Amino acid sequence: MSVSAQLLLNSLQIGAVYVLFAMGLTIIFGVMRIVNFAHGEFFTLCALIIAVSMPWLVEGGLPLWAAYGLSFVFGLGAVTLLSLVIFRFGFMKFQRDMIGSFILSIGLVLLLQGVYLDVFGGIPRVVPPVVEGTYSIMGAAITAQRLLLCAIALVITIALYWMLTHTKLGKGLRAIAEDHEAAMLQGIPYRRITLYGFLIGSLLAAIAGGLIAPVSVPSPVIGADYLIKGFIAVIIGGLGSISGAILGSALIAVIDSVGGYYFDPSTATIAMFVLVMLVLIVRPRGILGHA
Amino acid sequence: MTYKWTRRGFGLIAMAALSTTALSIPAAFADEVITIGISAPMSGAAATWGLGMEYTAKEAAKAINDAGGITVDGKKYTFNVIAYDNKYNAAEGSKVAQTLLSRDNAQFVIGVGTAPVKALQSLTERKGVLLFSTAWGRDIKGPKFPLTFTQINTPNEVLVLLYPLVKGQNPNIKTVALLNPNDATGKEVTQAAKENWEKLGVEIVSTDWYERGATEFQPIAAKIAALKPDVVDLGASPAAEGGLVLKELDVIGWKGVKVIGAGTSGEAVVKVAGPAAEQTYMGLAADYDGPEATEVQHALNKGARDVIREPLNVVQMGGYDAIMALKAGIEKANSVDPKKVAEALPTAIIDTSYGKSVFGGMEIYGSPQQLQLPVIVTQVKDGKAVELKRVIPAELQKRLSSN
Repeated sequence: MSVSAQLLLNSLQIGAVYVLFAMGLTIIFGVMRIVNFAHGEFFTLCALIIAVSMPWLVEGGLPLWAAYGLSFVFGLGAVTLLSLVIFRFGFMKFQRDMIGSFILSIGLVLLLQGVYLDVFGGIPRVVPPVVEGTYSIMGAAITAQRLLLCAIALVITIALYWMLTHTKLGKGLRAIAEDHEAAMLQGIPYRRITLYGFLIGSLLAAIAGGLIAPVSVPSPVIGADYLIKGFIAVIIGGLGSISGAILGSALIAVIDSVGGYYFDPSTATIAMFVLVMLVLIVRPRGILGHA
Repeated sequence: MTYKWTRRGFGLIAMAALSTTALSIPAAFADEVITIGISAPMSGAAATWGLGMEYTAKEAAKAINDAGGITVDGKKYTFNVIAYDNKYNAAEGSKVAQTLLSRDNAQFVIGVGTAPVKALQSLTERKGVLLFSTAWGRDIKGPKFPLTFTQINTPNEVLVLLYPLVKGQNPNIKTVALLNPNDATGKEVTQAAKENWEKLGVEIVSTDWYERGATEFQPIAAKIAALKPDVVDLGASPAAEGGLVLKELDVIGWKGVKVIGAGTSGEAVVKVAGPAAEQTYMGLAADYDGPEATEVQHALNKGARDVIREPLNVVQMGGYDAIMALKAGIEKANSVDPKKVAEALPTAIIDTSYGKSVFGGMEIYGSPQQLQLPVIVTQVKDGKAVELKRVIPAELQKRLSSN
C-alpha cells in the first residue's frame, strides 16, 4: 500500500460526498440567505428510502442496479416533496431572516428525526453495493462502489457548474445570490428562482445521501455527521460560494483523511474545528466568500 | 321541553359517570403499579441495544403481570416499563435520568451505556433508586454504589477469558491495535483491553478513538493496516461502526485476527461487513437460536425477530434479566422499597433467561453486585456467530449447589 496514494484516494472519496452536500447548503444560503440546519435530513431521507425500498425491489425480481436506480428515484421524489412542503410552509416566510430560519431549521431537525425514527425505526440498515470489487490505483485500494460514487459526484459537480454559468436559471440564481433587489429590478422572478434554488440544494443533499447509502450504514441520524462537516466546509470556503464549497469540502476531506491516518478520527474532527476558528479570525467571510 | 331534556340528560350522564367512577375505584386500588424506567440508546448506531432491551423488559413484565404480578404484604403489584432514548451520550442520559426520576417517579431503572448510566447513577444513588446496568465500567459498581447492580458480564468476566482463548488459537500474535468510540464506554473498554492484552505479553501498537456516529473509516483503517498489527480489537464499537471498520480493513488488504471485545451481535456485524466479518471473535455475542440457549431465550429471540427484525444480543437480554432480578429482590425483601430490595438482592435466587442465577463478584468489586452468568465467547464462521466456549462461573455453581 502506498501511503500517499491511499491518503489521496481517501480524500477524494470522502470529499466527493461533502462537495455535493456543501454545494446544496451553499446554494440555499446564496439565494435565500438562510442556513438550513435541516439539510442533513434530506440526505438522510434519500438514504433511508433506498435502504428500505431496494430490498423490496430486489425481492420483486429487479436486478440490483435497477433496484438501486428506482429506489434512488423514489428517494429523490420524496425529498422533492418534502422540500416543497418545507419551503412553502416554512422557509418562504423566513427568507433573509437568519434568526427565524435558524430556529425553524433546528425545529425541523428534531421533528424530522422523530418522524424518521417512527417510520423507519432506529436500527441502522444496510444497502448492498451495486458494483462489486476492489481496484488498486498507484498501490492504493478503492472499491468499485466508491469509484462509482466519485465519478457520479464529479459529473454532477461539473453539470451544476455548467448550469450556473451557462443557463438562464443558473444566471438567475447567481444574480439573486449577488443582489436580490437588483435582480428583481432586472425582471428576474425572485420567488420562482428561490424555490428552484431551494429544490436544487435539497436534491444535492439527497443525491449525496443516495450515493453514500451503499458504502455506509443508513440510520435516521446519519445526516448529523455530514451536516457538521458540510457546514464546516462552507464556512471555510465561504457561505454562498460554490467554488468555496468545493474548496472547503476538499480541505476537510484532506484533514479527515490525513488527520485520521496520522492521529485518529477524533483528532481529525477537532482539527476541522480549529481550522474553522482560524478562518473566522483571519477571514470571517471564508476563503472564497464575498463581502 | 328541550331545557328539561337537557337537564335530565346531564343528570343521567353525571350519575352514570359517578357510578362508573365509584365502581372503578376498587379495581384501581386493587393493583399497585411499579414503574420501571429504561434509559437506553434507541437511535443511531447503538439503537439496536435500546430497542431490543425495551422489548425483552416488556416481555418479562408481561410474563410477571400475566402470572398475577407480585404479592408483597398481601398487596398485589404489577410492572409497567417505560423507555427513553439516551442517544448513548451523557447529555441525553442526564435528561432521561431527570425525566425518569423526577417526572415518572421511577423507583427502579435500567441503564445502557457507560456515559448515560453514569449520568443516571449520579441521581439514582442520591434519590434512593435501584439501578440495573449493562455498563461495562469497572467503577460503576462497588461499596460506594450500594443501589447499582450489573446484569451482564463485563471486562472482568469476559476479557480474562476471551483474550487468552484468542491468543491460544493464534499463538503467533504479538501486537494489537485498539480502536474505540471516544466516550466513557470506549475509555473503560480500552483500559480493560490494554491491561488484559499486556498480561498476555501482546504489545499495544496503537490506541485510537472515533466519534460515535462517525461514518467514514477509511483513514483509520489505512493507519491500522500500515501498522501491520497481528490483531485489531474494536472493543466497544457497535455492530454498525465495527462492521464498517472491518469492511474498510478488508478493502485495504489487512488480514489479521479480528476481535470485538464488547461485540454483541454477530449477525449485525456480518450484515454490515459481509465476508470481512468472517473469523471475528466476540465477547458479548450469544446465539439465542442455538442449542445452548434456554427455552425462554429461544422464545424471546423469535419474538424479537418479529418486533425489531433482529435477533437478540447479550445487552438486550439484560432487560429481561433485570426485571426478573427485580422480581426476585422484591419477593426476597417482601418490600418495594428500593433500599430494602437492594439489600435483599445478593441473597436472592433469580430466574434469569439463562436459568437460575445470583448476584456475586465480592472478590472483584468489593460487594456482590455482579450477576453471575455464563461467559460466552463466539466467533463468526460462515456468516454466523458460533459459540467457541461457554464457562459457568464457579461462584454461581457453588452458590446454587449450597441452596
